[in-house]
Amino acid sequence: MEKELFSTLPVPTWRWLGVNEVYLPEELQTLPTPVRKIQIDVPAGQHVTQVIANRTEQRTEITAHVAEGGTLQMVQLQLLPPDKAGTCNVEVTAEKDAQVYYTTAEIGASRVLAQVKIDLAGDGSKADMAALYFGDGTRSIDLNYVITQTGKKTEANMQVRGALQDSAAKIFRGTLDFKAGSKDSTGREKEEVVLLNEGIRNRSVPLMLSAEEDVNGQHAVSAGRLDNSRLFYLMSRGLDEKEARKLVVGALFATVLERVPDAELREKISREVEERIEHGQR
Amino acid sequence: MEQQKTFVEDIERTLYDIRNEDHSVYKTERGLTEEIIRDISRQKKDPAWMLDFRLQSLEKYYRIPLPVWGPDISELNMDDIVTYVRPGGKMAGNWQEVPEEIKATFDRLGIPEAERTSLSGVGAQYDSEVVYHRVQKELSDQGVIYTDFETAVHEYEDIVKEYFMKLVPPKDHKFAALHGAVWSGGSFVYVPEGMHVDIPLQSYFRLNAAGAGQFEHTLIICEKNSSLHFIEGCSAPRYNVTNLHAGCVELYVKEGARLRYSTIENWSRNMMNLNTKRALVEKDGLIEWVSGSFGSHVSCLYPSSILHGENARCEFTGVTFASRGQDLDTGATVVMLAPNTSANINTRTISKSGGAATYRSAVKVTPGAKGAKCLVNCESLLLDEKSRSDTLPVMDIETDDVEIGHEAKIGRISDEAIFYLTSRGIAEEEAQAMIVRGFVEPVAKALPLEYAVEMNNLINMELVGSMG
Repeated sequence: MEKELFSTLPVPTWRWLGVNEVYLPEELQTLPTPVRKIQIDVPAGQHVTQVIANRTEQRTEITAHVAEGGTLQMVQLQLLPPDKAGTCNVEVTAEKDAQVYYTTAEIGASRVLAQVKIDLAGDGSKADMAALYFGDGTRSIDLNYVITQTGKKTEANMQVRGALQDSAAKIFRGTLDFKAGSKDSTGREKEEVVLLNEGIRNRSVPLMLSAEEDVNGQHAVSAGRLDNSRLFYLMSRGLDEKEARKLVVGALFATVLERVPDAELREKISREVEERIEHGQR
Repeated sequence: MEQQKTFVEDIERTLYDIRNEDHSVYKTERGLTEEIIRDISRQKKDPAWMLDFRLQSLEKYYRIPLPVWGPDISELNMDDIVTYVRPGGKMAGNWQEVPEEIKATFDRLGIPEAERTSLSGVGAQYDSEVVYHRVQKELSDQGVIYTDFETAVHEYEDIVKEYFMKLVPPKDHKFAALHGAVWSGGSFVYVPEGMHVDIPLQSYFRLNAAGAGQFEHTLIICEKNSSLHFIEGCSAPRYNVTNLHAGCVELYVKEGARLRYSTIENWSRNMMNLNTKRALVEKDGLIEWVSGSFGSHVSCLYPSSILHGENARCEFTGVTFASRGQDLDTGATVVMLAPNTSANINTRTISKSGGAATYRSAVKVTPGAKGAKCLVNCESLLLDEKSRSDTLPVMDIETDDVEIGHEAKIGRISDEAIFYLTSRGIAEEEAQAMIVRGFVEPVAKALPLEYAVEMNNLINMELVGSMG
């Protein structure tokens, strides 16, 4: 059976790095899996909030259109059981002066593929994206986020926070694409990843593409283990190492989680991450 | 407010575009066949193992497909490239014996002056054969070997056999295979243990015949605790036929050794520059790359450093300037294989007049590389709305005990900076050139003075339209 392509890096690079494309997980291809489709239309000038806490749907496709001056606040939490694979494909178009606040957390599933594409088509449109992922056990996380800036005076912000432990593997591709004519636009992208033990694999691919001079773009990645001096400080205050780790990862995730409007969901995610740091994967 | 644009004149290339009449004594048939390879090998009086190596590489060349990433190289037709051109002169022992016409070209490029002032040896490559070569006597007395590659194959056969295309095997990619089959000319440097070569060695490559490829091989071995600075400069006159450069550079930096490899490339704007450079660095060794890419029509150039021994280090400083008709895809790769290895990558790219510049990199940290540190900083400047600039870094980390940081910025020259300088009485063109020179300063200061001057002149020519 021919493999089904799920997502591709907007501009390919060396094949040996294995980041150019990702195919649908075999279990989703051999067993026909229903695709849950969600369509969101934000009328001009309106504000829509949509929170999706996904515990069951293995394949999700979300398309959203935000009309002039509209605001979409979307929270997409992936909480699938640890023995299931899952995919999620999100496409958002923002018209003139529209705003998109997109928050996502990749917590569950054995293998997850997520793609988010936001097109800032209209002048003055804005995308503010915050994502977190927690990989442990043999979990595999594959992310492809693309913000395309087509309109003038657009603003993109992509903040990604992650932690990896055990033998988890993750690929993060994050692209800011300034199209010709996107004058006076700005783009920011940052990924911070904490590596909790040896045996993990972390691949980061931050792309910045520009066909327009009058833009200001920045991206950054930082990856490393927990700062020893910080750990030592916390442990000297009576915390054991696991407690200290929980605290540091909790702080790293806090800025993303605080965007989740539901206190119960926030609490559930924090607790699950803490438990998995404490006891390993459930 | 309507933003002011500076009109930027295209490069004045007359100095580099002198074209001599083609007086070559020998040319292969067009295209690439086994017969041609045997022919090249016969002409070069290759030992048998080298002929075998060439033929095996040719097999690989046929088999390996063209890369699926990177700039468009579809206009390259290998059947149109005469792979080997031998200029009308024998190896010359000193400058006076070099044919007059060839000498005049080199004179205009300032090669002998460079040697007369501070450089300790000059190996100038005219088309595929080294025509002029010299090493200061005291260096050879100290056991430093600096010779053209054909001589090395015969006189230092054991060393060449041990190292040649071991770091860049022909199976690596299509153009490495091509290189293995048709390589010709280049430099061989051997620095014995503990020897410090304190003045830079320089080689200057140049292409003359239209439609000719250049496939020079550079092999440098720095033994334990030795040090060397090697400078490679490239320029070629312009022709209407596509030219191909698929050179190969292999650098071996042994325990505690330091090697700085500097290149200013200014190939003509019809050149396909598909060059492969790789360094293997052992314990406590240091490789420093200084790389300036100004010329060529298409470039794919990513010097790679394999940090094989504990505490091995890599410093990479690069500047790329893409103008009209240019697609320059440059960057670096680092593979960290041992504990406490470190790498520092610092690049600047500039695009103008419809040029496209891409920064592409890969940093790989293997499970054994505990304590690895890598910092990448790349900044891109776009000078007009017709140009393109892309950044494509990949980091692949397989252990927790690392510090990996990557930062990139993209943008334009701020109006405020131009306004400030023009309000101080500086012409707008000059103000822009000043800002660009400041932007590439990290590279300029890593170069020996005369090369920094050459680079500044190249920038001035690009931006102001004259030598300034």
